[in-house]
Amino acid sequence: MLRSLVTTPAEPSEQAADPAATLLSQATALVEDQGLKAVAEWKARHPGGLAIGHMPIYVPRPLIEALGCLPVAIYGGGDQVDIIRGDSYFQSYICHIPRSTIELGLAGSYDILDGMLFPSICDVIRNMSGMWQLLFPDRYAAYVDLPQNFSPEVGGKFYRHELERIASELAKRGALTLDPAALRRSIEAENKRREAIARIDEVRRTEPWRVRASEAYVMVRAGGQLPAAEHTAMLEEFLEKVGERESRPMDNVRVVLVGSFCEQPPIDLIRTLEKAGCDIIDDDFLLGFRFIEGAIPLEEGGDPLEALVRAYLERGVATASRYIGEEEKGAALVEKVRHCSADGVVFAAASFCDPALLDQPMLEAALDKAAIPFTSFKFAENTGQFQVIREQAGAFSDSVKLWGATK
Amino acid sequence: MSPDQHHLTAGIDPGSSAVKVAIVRSRAGQDPEILATTMQRIRRRYVHKVVEAAFDEACLKAGVKAGDFDYIASTGDGDAVARRTGHFYSMTTHARGSLFLDQEARAVLDIGALHARAIRFDHRGKVLGHRMTSQCASGSGQFLENIARYLGVPLEEVGKLSEEARKPEGVSSICAVLAETDVINMVSRGISTSDILKGIHLSIAGRLVRLLRAIRAEGVVLLSGGLAADTGLLAAIREVLNDDRTKKRFHAKVEIRTDPDSILAGALGAALVAAYRYEQLERMGRLEVVA
Repeated sequence: MLRSLVTTPAEPSEQAADPAATLLSQATALVEDQGLKAVAEWKARHPGGLAIGHMPIYVPRPLIEALGCLPVAIYGGGDQVDIIRGDSYFQSYICHIPRSTIELGLAGSYDILDGMLFPSICDVIRNMSGMWQLLFPDRYAAYVDLPQNFSPEVGGKFYRHELERIASELAKRGALTLDPAALRRSIEAENKRREAIARIDEVRRTEPWRVRASEAYVMVRAGGQLPAAEHTAMLEEFLEKVGERESRPMDNVRVVLVGSFCEQPPIDLIRTLEKAGCDIIDDDFLLGFRFIEGAIPLEEGGDPLEALVRAYLERGVATASRYIGEEEKGAALVEKVRHCSADGVVFAAASFCDPALLDQPMLEAALDKAAIPFTSFKFAENTGQFQVIREQAGAFSDSVKLWGATK
Repeated sequence: MSPDQHHLTAGIDPGSSAVKVAIVRSRAGQDPEILATTMQRIRRRYVHKVVEAAFDEACLKAGVKAGDFDYIASTGDGDAVARRTGHFYSMTTHARGSLFLDQEARAVLDIGALHARAIRFDHRGKVLGHRMTSQCASGSGQFLENIARYLGVPLEEVGKLSEEARKPEGVSSICAVLAETDVINMVSRGISTSDILKGIHLSIAGRLVRLLRAIRAEGVVLLSGGLAADTGLLAAIREVLNDDRTKKRFHAKVEIRTDPDSILAGALGAALVAAYRYEQLERMGRLEVVA
């Protein structure tokens, strides 16, 4: 059932010389671990602790950690899983991640999980939450209704109620009762993780030759099944190691990648873009870890649950699963391109991803207006042939480098 | 760049079967000067080592040192070129290299060991459109090399033998495996080597002409890549283009040409694009990326 994920291993001599090689190998092992061994190990170390899976994009992980649970990010089967039963649960014209997630669920890969959360991303994931409840009636499954009204009186009250509901439902299943002090500690830990991710992003922006997007991706994604503090330590060590690298600048085109916030592309697709001469200096991969811009603001003596709510309302990124003004998203993308000194944008959305593909024309219009070049393609998490994408990305990269935005 | 200044650039093109290197000196207002070119077959060697060996050989020929370069551009398998400053896609470099080899060319048919592609470009070498053969190797150099080996014909004699054919036999143009089966059948039926090779050339030519039609090529088309020196293939492409059925389908007149340095088009193009890029970075004040 499982196929090999790694198709382009580094040369042994190169790997030995890279100070970050060991960490990258550890992170890759975590990313490829469909059987969630790290979760099993955590449970062995925390008897009685619950492991709660969650789909992309955003779930308030500090809340789950504060309840003594381990939040486990689920990104589907990628290109490692052959879909046999998963297809029978969904129509053909939807994305791939629900099929592979159901496939893995039915195969027992998620038996270690005590529950699953399905945040509001799109109708497909909403339907999947119902399907999960029917398929696994003995396990906790909940739809996390992230409000699309961002006023504190309406969306804020609703969201707070939603978080309290999840906390109380998990407590009934053996989790700890929500304790403000514990929540504060877990938010602080989450903020440290965010800070480490932001530092990696900064290195990518300023010295993209030091940290490739594909490496940052693996390091961040590895934290999906780790507590925040453990992940932060790993990220900080990575930052230290890449600082020791003897790398040099390359004349690549600097691009912002948009559209891969839910279903994740195969890592080889990211590497394909890099090989085609693109430095991906910003992206929306694994958006959950960066869904809140900056730190979750904690006031001295303030209510940490309210801090979590306000961060969602006020600091959420402009992305397809947030219902905000059309022009706002375009303006945010243009601003991001300028902030990063990017040369262009690559739209890489999962096939049939309604939120990404419905937003794309609006974003393209904003880029056109700002004379920012872009290219677009679609992928599925199990895409195995990259020749066409490589051709397209290579042509785009050369065109931007040599001819700029000119026709 | 002031008139007395010059830029030294290199283009390194690791392909599937050979590594090509070109070294170019550019001066403002003057035609670029090719200081050296080299090609080394990979022959089961580690490609990184072949790249280094070919680069060293080119530097020796040009009388320059590795540290003298302003920009080293890779094309093809860029990962094999550790010393690269930047990478350019093979479409870009073959277009630029072809334009350098023939100023009248407005399209190139790049026929490498594993793929063939048609690229249309403008007077600056900017790519306007392209098409590539699909996954099957039946339109590629490796396929022809395999067949030549089965038939016991040295590669350099393939073109001449093909041109001597009297009654070429048709082979599958869809699948290399089927084509190889066709060849085995022909050998057992006593078909002459010349007729077999011409049949293969015509089959490949048919695929290449379809690529040219797809990109709406017109005017001069240069052959590049490993098969550009194959006179039998050149003759077969011309024959297919002159066929009345092709003429009816083709929208414009096309003239196929080749050049003794066609196989180096990618490396030459990379070196020339590198010079252009270096000047551009210099104008933009962004030379830190090539420091």
